[in-house]
Amino acid sequence: METVAISPLAGEKLNVIADVFSQAITGELIGMSNFASLAETIDDPHEKMEAVEHANSERMHAEGFMAYAKKHGINININLAGEYWGNVRRQFLHYAKIKDFIACLIIQEVMLESFAVSMYTDVGNALGDEAGELFLSIADEEKEHLEHSSDLLRAALQEDPVGFVARFEEIHFNCMSILAKFTAATDLSGHCGVCNGDCMKGSLHHIDLDIATMRGNALALYARALDNIGIPGEKSIVWIAQLPA
Amino acid sequence: MDSTTACLDFAAIGHQDSWKNITRFVNGLRKPGQERLSDDTVKNIFAFLPPTEVFKVNVRSVTGATINGVYVETFIDPDKLDARFGRHNLAKVLEALNHVEKMGSKVATLGGFTSIVLEGNLDLLQQRRTSLTTGNTLTAAFIVKGVEEAAELVGIDLQAANLLIIGATGDIGSACATYFAGRVEKLLLCARKQLPLQELVLSLSKKQVSVHGSTNIAEFSRRADVIISVASSAGIRLPKLKSGVLICDAGYPKNLEQSLDDSLDGHLFHGGMGQVSGGFSFSPDYSSSIYEYPAPFTIHGCILEAMILAFEQRWENYSSGKGKITTEKMEEIYSLSLKHGITIAPFFDSAGCWAPLKKLYA
Repeated sequence: METVAISPLAGEKLNVIADVFSQAITGELIGMSNFASLAETIDDPHEKMEAVEHANSERMHAEGFMAYAKKHGINININLAGEYWGNVRRQFLHYAKIKDFIACLIIQEVMLESFAVSMYTDVGNALGDEAGELFLSIADEEKEHLEHSSDLLRAALQEDPVGFVARFEEIHFNCMSILAKFTAATDLSGHCGVCNGDCMKGSLHHIDLDIATMRGNALALYARALDNIGIPGEKSIVWIAQLPA
Repeated sequence: MDSTTACLDFAAIGHQDSWKNITRFVNGLRKPGQERLSDDTVKNIFAFLPPTEVFKVNVRSVTGATINGVYVETFIDPDKLDARFGRHNLAKVLEALNHVEKMGSKVATLGGFTSIVLEGNLDLLQQRRTSLTTGNTLTAAFIVKGVEEAAELVGIDLQAANLLIIGATGDIGSACATYFAGRVEKLLLCARKQLPLQELVLSLSKKQVSVHGSTNIAEFSRRADVIISVASSAGIRLPKLKSGVLICDAGYPKNLEQSLDDSLDGHLFHGGMGQVSGGFSFSPDYSSSIYEYPAPFTIHGCILEAMILAFEQRWENYSSGKGKITTEKMEEIYSLSLKHGITIAPFFDSAGCWAPLKKLYA
């Protein structure tokens, strides 16, 4: 095992890094499970194969994070059934069960990927070195998922503008409310079940981050994703304003 | 209309002047029963958001014509309007410009602080499908015509008056100075930077105008019968003023009242504002939370300029650059505004409409 440079903050810093990796791995495994479930909703064989491929890509991301953690002796906690990740998964499964491909795409490839891309970028830039590069390279790959979904969703919007926006709104409040509570200054629905001890948000400054900036950047990317799909700004601004804060 | 729809007559790009205003707006968007958010919470979300269209607006001319526009909020942090944040703010304005262009707007105005971008970066005008204007020509026209009207109302003879312009070397300030040269007894010009001030004083002196310049407001304030302030009022102090002074606060934000050392023995109004007599409607209707004034259908002159250009179908970069506003152009845009029933807004200050007007808009 390689040695980790020791600084006065090493203990606290390592705890935060462990929580960051735990969240990333749990999130990737949720993504993997979601893409696997998504494959079930698709009839087109090519799209089905692509969903499986995406599930595998999320698995590889999780493995990449796990390998780094193992190499550096970082204590990882994986919990797919915690308060927030578990609820996101339940929301996804609700739409997967009724074979609502578009809803699944919105949850996984717009909402979750917006947060993943933005937060991985923030973490990657803050951590630097090998860990930082790992987060940044995975953020780049997740960006492709985000872009991939936009074409499909734009087409769905063109087909039925009123119906699509109404449907998106319902999914926004069902899923983004969970992510908004999860990323608020304090966990609005209690402990996430992933962080090793207390909530890591109060300790993010040990790695030069803060939750307000990370959340703000993630919501900004989500807002841009909505605009890219064609959701009118006058709608998205209301949707964001009405999220738990 | 979605983000990609074409055939939008105009767009107004703007920002709020305080987090209090943004918080009021955001809380107005929340559902009844939802917790009201604090300024800090709102700031932690909305300072990050990209420029977004917030509402559509349909404007009616007295000629019977109607136009459709959109308001794009840049979410520029009102606490970060100074030069230190220039790069970040410029990025937001550019993103807003790209956004309105994508929406297919034929003309766009850069309201408030965002106009500074267009005053200094004429490259922005190159290869754009959307014509851009700062709206400063009509703002300046509303200021000077407003001062003339208000002076008559309160019994000040402008030809015998000393006029102080604070922020005289700016785009609007210099336009006002040029307009009033020869129309008042004495021009007293204040600006922060000595060199451009000297240049302006020199150029006006050549026209046989009585004009003086100073970087110190206190030097002139007690001699002024009329004051036009077009500078950002943060940090401005107005010591001892003449009894009966007339003040036109046309700065951004309009909070000159807070800069007065003593209670005002005179008259103050928020200048550069216009009123659309044909009316307009917002969709969604945020008139009570984002654009509320004591008199109905009141809007900033810079936004009205884009509306007038749209009514006239003049898809041109009407106001751009700095120091290019001529009195002729001010007269032209003002006369076009009257054609469409857009007049100087009723005089008001932070307490509401001037007393004789209160009954009208109560």
